Amino acid sequence: MEAFTLAVAKGRTADHTIRLLEQMDIFFEDLTPSSRKLVFYNKKHTIKLIFVKAVDVPTYVEKGAADIGIAGKDNILESEADIYEILDLQIGKCKFAVAGKPGVNIDTLQSLTIATKYPTVAKKHFLRKGNNVEIVKLNGSVELAPLIGLSDVIVDIVETGNTLKENGLVVIEHVEPISTRLIINKASFAMKANHIQQFIEKLKISLEE
Amino acid sequence: MHSLVNNHYRADQIERFQQREELISKLKHRFKTYGYKQIQTSAFEKYDMYATKTGIVNTEDMIKIIDASGEVLVLRPDITIPLTQWMTNKNQLTVKHDRYFYVMDVFRHVQWNEQKERTQAGIEYFGDSSPTVDAEVIALAIHTLHDCGFSDYKIEIGHAGFFKALIAQTSLSTTEITNIQRFIQSKNLAEMTAYLESLTIDEPLKTAIRNIPFLYGQPKSVINEINQYGLDNEVKAELKKLIDVYTNLQAYDLSEDIVFNLGLINDMDYYSDIIFQGFINQIGRPVVMGGRYDNLGDQFGTHIPAIGFAFDVDLLIHAASQHHLLSEPESSIDICLYYDTNTQQEAVAAAFHLRNQGYSVISFPKETSETATIQATWEIMYTENVYTAAVDNQIYQFKNFVDLQGLLQAKKENG
Repeated sequence: MEAFTLAVAKGRTADHTIRLLEQMDIFFEDLTPSSRKLVFYNKKHTIKLIFVKAVDVPTYVEKGAADIGIAGKDNILESEADIYEILDLQIGKCKFAVAGKPGVNIDTLQSLTIATKYPTVAKKHFLRKGNNVEIVKLNGSVELAPLIGLSDVIVDIVETGNTLKENGLVVIEHVEPISTRLIINKASFAMKANHIQQFIEKLKISLEE
Repeated sequence: MHSLVNNHYRADQIERFQQREELISKLKHRFKTYGYKQIQTSAFEKYDMYATKTGIVNTEDMIKIIDASGEVLVLRPDITIPLTQWMTNKNQLTVKHDRYFYVMDVFRHVQWNEQKERTQAGIEYFGDSSPTVDAEVIALAIHTLHDCGFSDYKIEIGHAGFFKALIAQTSLSTTEITNIQRFIQSKNLAEMTAYLESLTIDEPLKTAIRNIPFLYGQPKSVINEINQYGLDNEVKAELKKLIDVYTNLQAYDLSEDIVFNLGLINDMDYYSDIIFQGFINQIGRPVVMGGRYDNLGDQFGTHIPAIGFAFDVDLLIHAASQHHLLSEPESSIDICLYYDTNTQQEAVAAAFHLRNQGYSVISFPKETSETATIQATWEIMYTENVYTAAVDNQIYQFKNFVDLQGLLQAKKENG
């Protein structure tokens, strides 16, 4: 059987994924929590596992560097990758939300400045609503932006809301729910149909358990 | 400072350009052997043609130009549409088995890889809607992929009418249909299931729509699966056409290269029946797309059944490069010829005859040989007293053109 490459986001998603794969009787021998290696094979050499940065998973899959990927919906949406998004793994659940200082009314502001790590998601959301917006792309500490006047609001991932609360921000509106997804390169789906579909079926079963 | 050079055809990609031309000539050759004739249309088209035909091309994506009289033009955003319009302007009686191919650029603001300009090489077959034609057109697409040297490819075949017939039984809004299409195109079952629950659709129909993304794989098993749904006659009639094409394709012995994908929905809304796209291993986007568009002519006042496909040449060359299928372009010159004042006339005459015989020849005054480093297979010197021809570190003397031809010929024969 032809091997396929599975790209997984480093960190929490990786731990979840490894546990899921173990439930499917897929084991990666060299894989230990302290390992710094980025490439692993299962015993039968039918799956090559690579660890990449979370935001890069959709790119690896779209470009065919990996056949399958496990990635957060947040990164899938932001990358706008042309891929199949086959399964919701029901882990890493959170949501995209617009947040700001209490009392901000985003529908009455003439023009809105938004700070975010996800410019595409933010732009699309406000385009749908018909708001006139300016996007400030940041790479971290987004919550700071409304506090120091860099932006009116932020668009970010909200899990518990604790970070927002501690910084005196509130959720103004929900954008979209997020969870971890199984994504597949469209050519791989065609070329390695049997192997990949078997993998999906097994994964589905182990998700239901 | 920003560079003022547009990146699309970079000057350092001369080699790539040679390879690209070689690839295009392979495609053209194959199209010709199936009886297609090359045509070309204007890059400028009337904006109104696209603006009034809703659903063909998003008007925001088109690159608009205003001419001197104030008329709005667009740079050709699609090829099938102008060709169909052109066909409808011809005498209807002559449209029967009309086969044309093209190599042309399409222009849009938003295209893959940020390029506004992409080359398409494709064919259109007008005037016949039989499944034998569909099969031959698909066989041609596969034959062409094979010519390019690819061995790992799959053609996915679907049917535009299948989804349309299913959705016609519901009373969904355009936005709702678009959303469902998106979910099907990305096989996003999780979100589609939740979304379908929020809509009012009959339960059996809902199940049928939900299953579309996974109507995928070997034609026979896909057909068997669909038949379990108890579909109405209209949907069944559409499927029958698909099966007919597959039956005809079996004569071409291409079953290995084909999978059915009923979840295939093309963004171009004009497709009416069979649609298909070709994937190459490791390349996440289809290199060739096509389908039957029997009703597009009606928008221009004449019914002309038609089918066609187009290769995305830029993607195809990228794929060929990834798969190491591009040969080193022939960059070397056959003959470099030097002369001095007294021999110039004889030398350039020799160059003329050699070029007529198909050699690539460059010529210079003798002094150039001391400064320039020119790579050529043969180095020929016409000096006042002696004529020499050097090849592979060996130097031969010759008296006249006939002698020289003898040397070239001998070298050719002995390798």
